[in-house]
Amino acid sequence: MITLENVSKTYPPNIKALDRVSLSIKAGEFVSLVGQSGTGKTTFVRCLIGEEKPKEGKIKIGDWDITKIGKREIPYLRRQVAVIFQDFKLLPKKTLYENVAFALEVAGKSNAKIKSIVPQVMKIVGLGAKMHRYPNEVSGGEQQRAAIARALVYQPKVLLADEPTGNLDSINAQEIIDLLKKINEFGTTVILVTHNRDIVNRLKRRVITLHDGRVISDQAVGKYVL
Amino acid sequence: MIISILRAAKFSLQDIARNVWLSIVTVLILVLAFFSVNLLLSVQVISQAAIDTVRDKIDVSLYLKTDAPESEILALRAAISGIENVREVIYVSKQEALEDFQTRHKNNPDILEALRELDSNPLSPSLIIRPNDVNRYDGLIAELNRISNPIIESRNFDDHKLMLEKINMITERVNQAGFAVSLLFIFITLLVLYNTLRVAIYTHRSEIAIMRLVGASDWFIRAPFIISSLLYTLIGVVISGTVFYLFLNLLQPYLEAFFLNYDFNIIHYFQSNFAQFFILEFAAAAAINIIASLVAVRKYSNI
Ligand SMILES: Nc1ncnc2c1ncn2[C@@H]1O[C@H](COP(=O)(O)OP(=O)(O)O)[C@@H](O)[C@H]1O
Ligand SMILES: [Mg+2]
Repeated sequence: MITLENVSKTYPPNIKALDRVSLSIKAGEFVSLVGQSGTGKTTFVRCLIGEEKPKEGKIKIGDWDITKIGKREIPYLRRQVAVIFQDFKLLPKKTLYENVAFALEVAGKSNAKIKSIVPQVMKIVGLGAKMHRYPNEVSGGEQQRAAIARALVYQPKVLLADEPTGNLDSINAQEIIDLLKKINEFGTTVILVTHNRDIVNRLKRRVITLHDGRVISDQAVGKYVL
Repeated sequence: MIISILRAAKFSLQDIARNVWLSIVTVLILVLAFFSVNLLLSVQVISQAAIDTVRDKIDVSLYLKTDAPESEILALRAAISGIENVREVIYVSKQEALEDFQTRHKNNPDILEALRELDSNPLSPSLIIRPNDVNRYDGLIAELNRISNPIIESRNFDDHKLMLEKINMITERVNQAGFAVSLLFIFITLLVLYNTLRVAIYTHRSEIAIMRLVGASDWFIRAPFIISSLLYTLIGVVISGTVFYLFLNLLQPYLEAFFLNYDFNIIHYFQSNFAQFFILEFAAAAAINIIASLVAVRKYSNI
């Protein structure tokens, strides 16, 4: 499903954010990517969504080599590989509903389709009752749920979550992780970037550990090793 | 495609409404900018009109003998009309001169009484000659001096030359100052516009990044900004035009007093040139807006 072959990314002047990373992730997996801060986890995510081009190596999603992707293809990639972040990245002047609908509107989907999909997805993430509020009128956990809803509207093959619980307390964090597990059960490949030891240990799934841009461990049922 | 345009328009209107203070400030600054430009243009138009009025009053009079026959006067008039650089030759007959004299002294009963006591009209007919180009006034005087016709009684070529030089100097200064002030104003206006847009777009920088994140194409990110810019500009031009029109109405009585007897109406001028003002200002501001939007979207596109 996702394969990286010797992927390296260097930022100027000479920061090796990723150093010859090779790995593969099968469809339907739930993978945790862990490591100290500054070890290239976000860079890994940005390479997978086409925001950064690696200096060397190949990244393939299915048969699609996204290291060669053009700017015009990025909107299509985003529908296959969705992403959520620690800071939610919701539009503050739009309601949660409008934020989710926006992802469909930009792609020219019909109003009828939007009206049927959005409430459904909002219900899946548990925001049915609060979908007409603005982001600053709900909790961080609820904002992250809205971001997840927005990521889900295209039924992406892959969901990348870059420290999605970084701004949340442990109860809200666990709820978000449970939601990601539920999404994974529906068939979406989930890659969870985190440095929360408890979460990783409780998941009992595959854990990939990065250190200074290199993969230093990759365990099928992993523990947080650092 | 149509649905995209409609959606871009919807996003633009939503954004204007939900950032209502920023929208008001943006429009206000646009209004002030347009108002200043309009004011500057008017000052130039008025000063040019003032200069023209004075230049127009520069003329040369040929006083003719009181008994000069009409036919000869008309022949002389025709001859002078043929001289190069003569714009018009006005024939003031004895009768007209009298009427003119009477109206000029209508508040002075003594003079009118004295005039009435005379049996016949004591005033002489005259030809008033206006040059095309006041700068070649000397040549015209020389030509007129060369005419020898027995019906000419006297030539009043007062020293217009000094006055002319003064006018020319004033004109030049007004033009220079006007040009400098115009440049300064336009520069300030552009700067203010550019900065307003930068602020407007800066407040949207995270939104631009988020739009990209969810897979909006560049076109889709830019379109709402461009539509908003065009709307702001349109509203700005309309408001500044209306306010300026009211302002001119207040100004017109003073101008009329200043341009006594001279047909100058700034409101008419404004009305007949309004479409041009409107289109030019709109086009210039819209161009700046669009360029700023395009540049900003590129700049703030990274997540
Ligand atoms: N845009 C950038 N320009 C320069 N250096 C960067 C940039 N983004 C990240 N880095 C550097 O690359 C390294 C990896 O960063 P990142 O992938 O964000 O790490 P993590 O997400 O694991 O904390 C860090 O040393 C960071 O300082
Ligand atoms: Mg990071």
